[in-house]
Amino acid sequence: MTVKAREDMGSNKLASLFQEDLCIFSLRSRKKASVLQEMVRHLKAAGKITDEHFILEMLKNRESLGSTGLGLGVAFPHGRSIAIPGLTVLFARSASGVDFEALDGKPTRIFFLILAPSEKGAETYLSLLSRLTALVQQPKTLKKLYDVKDFETLQEVLGGDEG
Amino acid sequence: MREEFKLLIALQDLDIMIREAEEKKTSDQLKDMGFQLDGLEELHKGRAKLAAKIPAALRNRYERLAAHYRVAIIPVTGDKCLGCFVKLPTSFFSSAYSSELLTCENCGRLLFIP
Repeated sequence: MTVKAREDMGSNKLASLFQEDLCIFSLRSRKKASVLQEMVRHLKAAGKITDEHFILEMLKNRESLGSTGLGLGVAFPHGRSIAIPGLTVLFARSASGVDFEALDGKPTRIFFLILAPSEKGAETYLSLLSRLTALVQQPKTLKKLYDVKDFETLQEVLGGDEG
Repeated sequence: MREEFKLLIALQDLDIMIREAEEKKTSDQLKDMGFQLDGLEELHKGRAKLAAKIPAALRNRYERLAAHYRVAIIPVTGDKCLGCFVKLPTSFFSSAYSSELLTCENCGRLLFIP
């Protein structure tokens, strides 16, 4: 990781990396492919990407490499693409859970979609991914995430991470 | 955008993913977080299929640039190539929205207008 990237990530509180217009508190989709599509469409509707196709293809390929559903009801779809102008994070929640082929076989309820530009190094998103995967290992935080229904509450839950 | 250029962009995204899964530093980081990367062979098969759809001359050009720069196709932001950060000539923008492939005259990378 470059010094600058480390400083950039270190200086950011986790909560500040999330935006209200990049949150879906009640996913409609019930299947893995359609969840990815719903999240990517949301990014387009929010004006964060111009082309859904490249991102969706990249995310599907990433799932072929190995499911990003790490268990505990949380998935971290992620990757880099030329179609992403800057580090982008989307939060999504499914009240009923989705079969995301998670490693523990259980339904996935929380999604952190993390996308980074291709022309920069992997360190642009790996640090954030590391922080989020560590965060959901905290049982109390995880329980709160399952129930989060608005941006203010999400900010409070993520604000517990000192980064 | 021409179909062959779309395929080339998809190929680059796939190459970046494969590289991250193969390079020890990044794969170790991902595995430490709990991610499994056991579908690498599947990705290589997908890459071969995708590459076969791209005209040979264009694919070879991409492969040469990727071997040299790692990232062969670069987005244009403002009036600069984000690969070499050299300002693009005005003439570039007059043809920028045509279906032709664009090339940075300074570094030779392929250019993508998001």
